[in-house]
Amino acid sequence: MNSKTIVIGVIGADVHAVGNKIIDYALTQAGFKVVNIGVLSTQEDFINAAIETNADAIFVSSLYGHGELDCQGLREKCDEAGLENIILYVGGNIVVGKQDFKEVEERFKKLGFNRAYAPGVKIETGIEDIKLDLNIDK
Amino acid sequence: MELENKKLTMDEFLKTREEVLKTWSTGEQVADLEKNIEYARSIPKSKNFALKLKKAKHNQITLTQPRAGVALVENHIGLLRYLSEEGEADLLPTTIDSYTRLNRYENCELGLEESRRNGRSMLNGFPVVNHGVFGARKVQENLDKPVQARHGTPDARLMSEIIHAAGWTSNEGGGISYNIPYSKDAPLDKTIKDWQYCDRLAAIYEENGVPINREPFGPLTGTLVPPSMSNAVAIIEALLAAEQGVKHITVGYGQCGNQLQDIAAIKALEQLTEYSLEKFGYKNRIITTVFHQWMGGFPKDEAKAYAAISNASVTAALARVTKVIVKTPHEAFGIPTKEANANGLKCTKMVLNLMADQKSYMSKKLKEQLNIIKEETECILDAVFDAGKGDMANGVVEAFKRGILDIPFAPSKHNANKILPARDAYGAVRYLDSGNVPLTKELKSYNRYMLEKRAIVQKRPVDFQMTVDDIFAISEGRLVGKPDFSKR
Repeated sequence: MNSKTIVIGVIGADVHAVGNKIIDYALTQAGFKVVNIGVLSTQEDFINAAIETNADAIFVSSLYGHGELDCQGLREKCDEAGLENIILYVGGNIVVGKQDFKEVEERFKKLGFNRAYAPGVKIETGIEDIKLDLNIDK
Repeated sequence: MELENKKLTMDEFLKTREEVLKTWSTGEQVADLEKNIEYARSIPKSKNFALKLKKAKHNQITLTQPRAGVALVENHIGLLRYLSEEGEADLLPTTIDSYTRLNRYENCELGLEESRRNGRSMLNGFPVVNHGVFGARKVQENLDKPVQARHGTPDARLMSEIIHAAGWTSNEGGGISYNIPYSKDAPLDKTIKDWQYCDRLAAIYEENGVPINREPFGPLTGTLVPPSMSNAVAIIEALLAAEQGVKHITVGYGQCGNQLQDIAAIKALEQLTEYSLEKFGYKNRIITTVFHQWMGGFPKDEAKAYAAISNASVTAALARVTKVIVKTPHEAFGIPTKEANANGLKCTKMVLNLMADQKSYMSKKLKEQLNIIKEETECILDAVFDAGKGDMANGVVEAFKRGILDIPFAPSKHNANKILPARDAYGAVRYLDSGNVPLTKELKSYNRYMLEKRAIVQKRPVDFQMTVDDIFAISEGRLVGKPDFSKR
C-alpha cells in the first residue's frame, strides 16, 4: 500500500463496466486505495466520494462518446467543494468518433483535467503518471 | 401487479399504456393505437424487417446490418442512405443515444441543441423519443430497407410505441439483456414487466397484420461471456416474448473467437431455442439467428481491424446465421465515420459472398463442443425454471439473486459477479470460476481441465490475470492472452 486514494468511475449515462473493473484491479495491485463508484456516475458522485475518502485523485472513464458533455464543469465543482488541488485524469473513448487527439487533449485540459488519455492507452500508463504526479517513489 | 410469465390482458396493457404515453410530450402523438397500426400496415412489405429475415432464412443467406445513429433527423437519414447504397447494408439500424436509453429526454434536448450549434453529432445515437413519431416516420419513409431500433434501454416502452407507430418493424432488447449489461440498479422484476409490455405491443401489431421482429440482445457485456450463459439468457427472453404472442424472434450470439466453439454455440442456440419453444407449447414461431462480430476491444490499426472483421465474417458464413452485425475499422476509437462504417460492411459482404457456397461439416470436435454448450445451457435453464417454481419470469429474478444466472463484467448490482471466464489454449471461452452456476461436476471438471492445459502451455497459474490478458488480447493482435512476466 502507498496510502494514496483514487476515486474511479464511469461518468454520465455510460454503462461500460469492463475497463472499470480492470482499472480497479490494476490500481489495487499497484498499491493504491481504490474507491470505485462504478458506472452511471454523476459529477456529484465523484466529488462526494472524493470528499468522503479524502482522495488524492479522480480517474474519470468514458467510453461512449458523451464524455465531452459529461465532463464540462467538473473542475469548477471540485473547486467549489474544496477539492482545489485534486488531480483529475480522464480516459477511454472520450469524444464522439475518431478525432485528432492533440485537439481533444487540449479541450480536456481546458476543462481542467491534468491528463487526458487517447483510446487504447492502458491503465499501466496512468499508474506511472499518477506515481509521478503524486511523488510516489517507484 | 405481481410478476408472472403470462400474456398481459388488453385491460392491463391499456392501463399501463396510459401512464407510458405521459412520460414525455411526444407520447400523445401515438395515443391512437389503431391509427398507428394502420400507418404501419401501409408500409410496403419490402420494408418489413420480420419478412426480410424470414426470406433470408428460407434462402439460407446471411444479411448484413451496421450500427448507426446520429442526433438530427436529416443527418441520420443521410447516414443510413449512405450505408445502404455505398455500404450495401441489407438491413438498417437506428442506434439510439445513451440518454434516451436512460429515459433522460431533457438531456437529449440539450444534446440536440449542442449538435445543431457545433455542426456535429454530440449524441452517440438518434434520440427517437424526442424526435417523436413524425421524425421517426421520416426515417423509414426515406429509406427502402427495413429499419430496426438498437439500443440498451431498460424501460423502452415509450420508445417501442413510437418506433412501431413509425413503421419500424424490429426492436432489439429484453428484460435481462437490456438491464444487467446496461444498468446499475434497475430492478429485474420491473424490466421484465416493461419488456413484457414491449413484447405484447409487438404482438398486437402482429395480430393486426404487421409482422414485427423481436431480437433479444445476445452478446450481453460482449466480453468473454461463456456461450452457455449468453445462450441461456437468449432462450429465456425468447420464451418470455413468445408468451406475449411474439412470432418473429431473432436469437443472438456474440463472437468469442474460437471458430469451432462459435459455430457450435450458434447451432446450439438455434436448436435449443426451437426445442424450448416447442416444449413450452409455443407453436409456429419463426426463429432466426444473429451473429455479432467481436464485441470486445479492437485493434487500432485499420488493416488489423479489417482482419478481425473478416475473420468474424467467415464464422458467420460457416454458421449460416440469418444476419451479422458488422463492426468497423474505427471500432477502437468509438463511433465510426460513415465511410469507415460502409467499409466494414463491404468487407463483411465480400467475405460472405466468397463463403456463400461453402459449408462447414459436422465433425467429431464440433459435435463435442455443441454437446457441451447444450448440456451447460440446460443445467442453467432447468435451474432457472425451478428457482421460479415453474414460472420463468420469477425464475430469472431468483436466479440472479442466487447467481444461477451471472454475467461477467456486468455493471448491475443485481448481478452476482461470481463467475470468471478465460480462454483455453485454443481460444475457446471457459468458466475459470463457475460461481453458483449449477454445472454438473463433469462439466466443471471439463472447463478446469481445458484451462489447466493452457496454464501448462503458457507456464502460468490459472487465475484472474488470464482473464485480464484475454480482455486486451484481440486489440493487441492475438486471441489468447499471453502472460507478461516483465510486469511482475
